[in-house]
Amino acid sequence: MFNDLFFRLRSLLRREVVESEADTELRFHFDQQVEKYLKSGMTREEAKRRARLEIGGHEQLKEEIREARGVHLLETLFHDIRYGLRILGGTPVISSVAVLSLALGIGANTAIFSLIDTVMLRMLPVEKPEELLQVRIQDPSSPNEEADATFTNPLWEELRSRQDFYSGIFSWSLTQFDLAQGGVAHNVNGLFTSGEYFSTLGVRPAAGRLITTADDKRGCPGVAVLSYGFWQDHFGGAHNAVGSTLSLDNHIFQVIGVSAPGFFGVDVGNKFDVAVPICAADVFDGKDSRLDHRSWWWLRVAGRSKPGVHPDQLKARLSVVSPQVFLAALPRDWEPKNQQEFLKRSLQTIPAATGSSDLRRQFTQPLHILMGVVGLVLLIACANIASLMLARASARHKEIAVRKALGASRMRLIRQLLTECVLLSTAGALLGVLFARWGTSLLVRFISTGNNKVFLDLSFDWRILTFTAGVAVSTGLLFGVLPAFRCTRVSLTSAMKGSQATDTESRAKFRPGKWIVASQVALSLVLLVASGLFLRSLVKLVTMDLGFDRNNVLIVRANLHTAKVTPERQPAMFDQLEKRLRSIPGVLSAGRSVMTPVSNYVWNSDLEVDTPNPPTGDAALAFFNFISPGYLGTVRTPLLAGRNFNDGDTKAAARVAVVNETLARRFFPNEDALGKYFRVHADPGKPRPPIQIVGLAKDAKYESLREEAHATAYFPIAQIPEDAEEQVFELRTAVPPAALVPSVQEAVAMVSKAIPLEFHTLAEQVHDSLVQERLLATLSTFFGALALLLAMIGLYGALSYLVAERQPEFGIRMALGAPRGSILRLVMSDVVMVLAGGLAAGACLALATVGVLEKMLFGLAPLDSSTFLAAIGVLSAVALVAGYLPARRAMRCDPMVALRYE
Amino acid sequence: MAQKRIELPQGTLDLLILRTLALAPQHGWAISERIHQISSDVLLIQQGSLYPALHRLERRGWIKAKWGTSENNRRAKYYELTKTGRKQLALEKDSWKKLAAAVAQILETA
Repeated sequence: MFNDLFFRLRSLLRREVVESEADTELRFHFDQQVEKYLKSGMTREEAKRRARLEIGGHEQLKEEIREARGVHLLETLFHDIRYGLRILGGTPVISSVAVLSLALGIGANTAIFSLIDTVMLRMLPVEKPEELLQVRIQDPSSPNEEADATFTNPLWEELRSRQDFYSGIFSWSLTQFDLAQGGVAHNVNGLFTSGEYFSTLGVRPAAGRLITTADDKRGCPGVAVLSYGFWQDHFGGAHNAVGSTLSLDNHIFQVIGVSAPGFFGVDVGNKFDVAVPICAADVFDGKDSRLDHRSWWWLRVAGRSKPGVHPDQLKARLSVVSPQVFLAALPRDWEPKNQQEFLKRSLQTIPAATGSSDLRRQFTQPLHILMGVVGLVLLIACANIASLMLARASARHKEIAVRKALGASRMRLIRQLLTECVLLSTAGALLGVLFARWGTSLLVRFISTGNNKVFLDLSFDWRILTFTAGVAVSTGLLFGVLPAFRCTRVSLTSAMKGSQATDTESRAKFRPGKWIVASQVALSLVLLVASGLFLRSLVKLVTMDLGFDRNNVLIVRANLHTAKVTPERQPAMFDQLEKRLRSIPGVLSAGRSVMTPVSNYVWNSDLEVDTPNPPTGDAALAFFNFISPGYLGTVRTPLLAGRNFNDGDTKAAARVAVVNETLARRFFPNEDALGKYFRVHADPGKPRPPIQIVGLAKDAKYESLREEAHATAYFPIAQIPEDAEEQVFELRTAVPPAALVPSVQEAVAMVSKAIPLEFHTLAEQVHDSLVQERLLATLSTFFGALALLLAMIGLYGALSYLVAERQPEFGIRMALGAPRGSILRLVMSDVVMVLAGGLAAGACLALATVGVLEKMLFGLAPLDSSTFLAAIGVLSAVALVAGYLPARRAMRCDPMVALRYE
Repeated sequence: MAQKRIELPQGTLDLLILRTLALAPQHGWAISERIHQISSDVLLIQQGSLYPALHRLERRGWIKAKWGTSENNRRAKYYELTKTGRKQLALEKDSWKKLAAAVAQILETA
């Protein structure tokens, strides 16, 4: 098979050599034969004549050899391609519309697929990724939840000391490091790694050396390893970078090496810039280090499987080791009940060849939905091209009839037509790949937010290329087969007579065109309904009353721990900063808090109240914020009753709280919550002072825009029970918030130049929390519009063709006295029929499929009747316009001109 | 003299070429001569059909070609049997024998 192809190709490509070889061979034969006859006593003349007679015509023989070598099949293919290119070039507008719509369709599919590939399917670029296993914790008290991936450091250390069932095991944690020493923060992606991390993954240094177990010892000096990309960007790849120092959160670290290029870490969607050993957490945390903290869940753990250890053996070993590990790392200060549950947890492993990723959880469903959307777009594009091809093939009616009459076989003609289609789809695919490259990076930028820059390795791999090639070939066949088979079925006599098709014949010929257009309408309707649903969800989310006013609020995050301010001095310094910021010109009001709305951070705990039936379980959970007196006014969360905090609510004063409506309703039903007391649940031995409710605030979004209002309690920031080294200032501004950044920096620098600052706006924070929804709404609207456009072109093209075909018939009708309006009605009735059929099919299809979108919607059900009606309305309007244009042309035609055709 | 020679039945030329090459590599002219000789001048090979057949067999990978020098010191294209060619020869020989036997039987009995 392979040999055969090679042989044919050689014959074709090294044509001259092969030809001259054949010449030499035949000449040799001829000479031998002549010699033989000479020996038998003939004259030279006689011998030559005999030999020539026997061997036959030289050129004829060569042609036979050529055929025997199988040059023919390939040669006709090249002929077909050349001819196809000429034909396509003959109708440049149609061809470019076809290539462009295919390129959009294939490009969109490739783009979405390459995201799916990089986020979900691709193996990590490390040694033997298939051996990697991630260790997780299964909690029997919540069996339905996915196993928890995070560990405390004591748990990790206990597991590491007991492990003999992996060939290597390591742990890591993602973090952010601020490179700036005070002032505007310059955050880079940080990575805590255990000493085994790089060696177990099989990563080699590009310069210097990597972190080893010797570096990961308690009390370690700060050392850092740079990623290759960071080394290039930040140090310009300079070799003296190794041995230099780097300030991370205001602590000096020595750079010991650079990891190999192409290694980004094991978290898909994130790339690390600077890695430090886990022991360095001590340097950042000070006295209350997370290294010994038994309920600080921050590490992830993975191992490499040991050759010869069967998964069942591993499971058995883990079930033996689990109780020991959990017992040794038991949080001592937990309540006995919770400790019992803690001890019941167990370790399990899952394959981690594709790495770990939060991105995957967040975007798996949206990406699958988008894959469906772009699949539909491609189908519509295919349908479009099929009807174009059909129309063009009918225009080539005569050519095909002539070729058939000259003896071309039907298969030969079909092959020619299909070659043209595959040419179109190949061109579309090549252009589509360009679109896809550009589209994917655009998409990655789309899902990146200010706080979370998504990084994906977008290089093409075999999977993406196979996908694209497969899509290109199957689309080519999809839109090519029907026209190719239909238009090679010509009746020779009628075609050669040169007569125009009669009325009934053209109607019959147009039937597949109608089907195609109707299916386009149906598919477009599904897309429009989906995009309508996403769009309306997004609009609902964006215009919803959040309980605070997001506009014109600058958020300034300041960390006094990193600034090395002692905990005793911090509260006073925060107070001082708030006062200074409030007096900046352009600042209307200022507040301070530990949490900001919709920021991905939560602080929550169970509440206890002395009412007859207190809420239990999840209902007892309340969400906290610690705020300065200026906070509620600045974010504009209205106080409904009672009082706001004031300067009298100091640490020494009685504990007070402002609660939201939901909390009041849930914990104090049918009574006034004002003046009542509650306690915050605490572990045994910890104080549980009673807290009096002094104010009632309106419900506001806490964690996400999609949430039902959380029961929320606000406490005076002065009464915060633990150190809050990082606090946030909210500034309500009279000017665009970003304009105040320099004056804020100046004001803070007056207090201390060492304080690192991060700036955001509340609007941006809200905006960023809707990435998923915005992605779906934007893309589905874009593709919905594209589908609409394609369907319109399809309908317009198909009808123009029909009208042109029936022009003589219309001429006759008009000559016989048919009013122009009746011609219009005739054409429009076709449009309406196609439209009605398409809409009915599309509505059924949409009804059957929109259910899968339910989870992604907000504030409306998938079967939202107004969305359906709007989609039907838009589609009908567009289709009627697209149909009216050719219909009008039919009506306006001059009967004489039309008749003269005949 | 031409009258008493037999035209080669369809498809048997390949078999004869393979058989001839089983002995030693040969160039085209030698192949035709050899078939001629061995069949005691009974079989006539159209020289015109020999070369297409050789190229076809080469494409199928049953024989392969090499340039060499002939007895009279000229550049000539030599063909030799490949491993698959050898297998093919055995197969074809077998089926030819079966065919010949069957035809003979029919001629005897019918």
